[in-house]
Amino acid sequence: MMNLSRSVALISLFLLPLLSFSFSVDNPTDRRVLVLLDDLSLKSSHSIFFNNLKSRGFDLDFKLADDSKLALQRYGQYLFDGLIIFAPSTERLGGSLDSKSIADFVDSGRDLILSADTSASDLIRGIATECGVDFDEDSSAMVIDHTSFSVSDVDGDHTLIAADDLVKSDVILGKAKIEAPVLFRGVAHSLNPTNNLVFKVLSASPSAYSANPSSKLSSPPQLTGSAISLVSVMQARNNARVVISGSLQLFSDRSGVQKAGSQNQYEKSGNEQFVTELSKWVFHERGHLKAGSLVHHRVGETDEPAIYRIKDDLEFSVEIYEWSGKSWEPYVANDVQVQFYMMSPYVLKTLSADKKGLFHTSFKVPDVYGVFQFKVEYEKLGYTTLSLSKQIPVRPYRHNEYERFIPTAYPYYGACFTTMAGFFVFSFVYLYHK
Amino acid sequence: MVKSTTKDARDLFHTLRSAYVATPTNLKIIDLYVCFAVFTALIQVAYMALVGSFPFNSFLSGVLSCIGTAVLAVCLRIQVNKENKEFKNLAPERAFADFVLCNLVLHLVIINFLG
Repeated sequence: MMNLSRSVALISLFLLPLLSFSFSVDNPTDRRVLVLLDDLSLKSSHSIFFNNLKSRGFDLDFKLADDSKLALQRYGQYLFDGLIIFAPSTERLGGSLDSKSIADFVDSGRDLILSADTSASDLIRGIATECGVDFDEDSSAMVIDHTSFSVSDVDGDHTLIAADDLVKSDVILGKAKIEAPVLFRGVAHSLNPTNNLVFKVLSASPSAYSANPSSKLSSPPQLTGSAISLVSVMQARNNARVVISGSLQLFSDRSGVQKAGSQNQYEKSGNEQFVTELSKWVFHERGHLKAGSLVHHRVGETDEPAIYRIKDDLEFSVEIYEWSGKSWEPYVANDVQVQFYMMSPYVLKTLSADKKGLFHTSFKVPDVYGVFQFKVEYEKLGYTTLSLSKQIPVRPYRHNEYERFIPTAYPYYGACFTTMAGFFVFSFVYLYHK
Repeated sequence: MVKSTTKDARDLFHTLRSAYVATPTNLKIIDLYVCFAVFTALIQVAYMALVGSFPFNSFLSGVLSCIGTAVLAVCLRIQVNKENKEFKNLAPERAFADFVLCNLVLHLVIINFLG
């Protein structure tokens, strides 16, 4: 008995340093990433991507996808903050991993990069469907584009496409514009239309379609045009981020691209910049917001009252910070709004930001009493969702807080006093007339 | 037929007017006071029709003070009129004292209800 407790204590002592390096609320960037490969040669063919990650401070742990000792958790604690699955043809994952454990991994708030390729297995497709992404059912189909292919395509079947239809978001793809097109060879996927958390980062041009390149088309392809997504992204409600790509070659070392039909030849394709910026976003180096507490008080006071009265003037403020990869910077935006909400928003105001991350506004409490909430619901593409609320009751006037004399009743007051004066004058006149 | 009715109306008006001139002065003073009170009440009703009855208690208070004092003045006139057989034995001072006391109570209640 003593031995068991002592060994548990020793083991937890060893685990403590591991815990301090994981991501936490104060330091949301992932640190330890498990990379599952189905072929260890991917380490060298995708060396630029992995070295970039290592140079940014990530601990990469390379494992074969069917390694029997794989485990995401030990003693209930997660060992990794991020997961990269570059194993499109793996039917079964080794160790204690399966699609359910990966779904739990994402449910715990951790991030995932999943890449399929031309031979995507059912396991990979299943994981993608969990995230709202449906790969083309035909397992031999690839994305073909006869107008946007790369001129350096050796096979000549136009499956190596040069795509430049990127999502317009500075937070996901960085401030620098990606000039060169991104090379892609792989399978198409479409987004589940009922899922509102997933969106396209790189979509195919309107002339693309998904079909088997080596056989003749017998019927029109199901996935065509811009409905085909090449790289999609999902941000879950717990702010876990998932990137799903249809091509493993997207992440590999490549250079030199010229799009068919365009005059520009680029020495370097946009792949490296695209993949780097996307990995920065997925692993929470960018676009991760944190809000301080909501502060509200009456104009002229500093304490937060326990109850407001109708038609009070109040001031409201909240602090929002953005993680810059190393530290919390003040967040600056002009579209954060606050609602004064009871079943429906009675007041909706846009908060004005100062440069230090403090968003504030002031308004008058509406003429309705009840229990209200200050609600800040901020959902911007690529940023973590902020969902803050604070409850505050509002009371009606006390009986001595009403105005003493009602202005519309002044004629009636005047009439009463005039009648009294008239009576007084009348009695004198009546008694002393001649 | 029409001509005779207008002539009748004009004759009626003339007889009323000449009869009224003959009334004693104190009764005429009371009549004037009653007209003043009713006129004030009518102004208040017109104002209420314009802006609505929001402080209804104030409206009632104002109108009832005018109507109440008019009613009390009419009572005084009945009691003081020498041609009235019913109140032959009532001293006019007693009638006026009643009038004053009732008005005091009325105005007390009115100010309380005015709000």
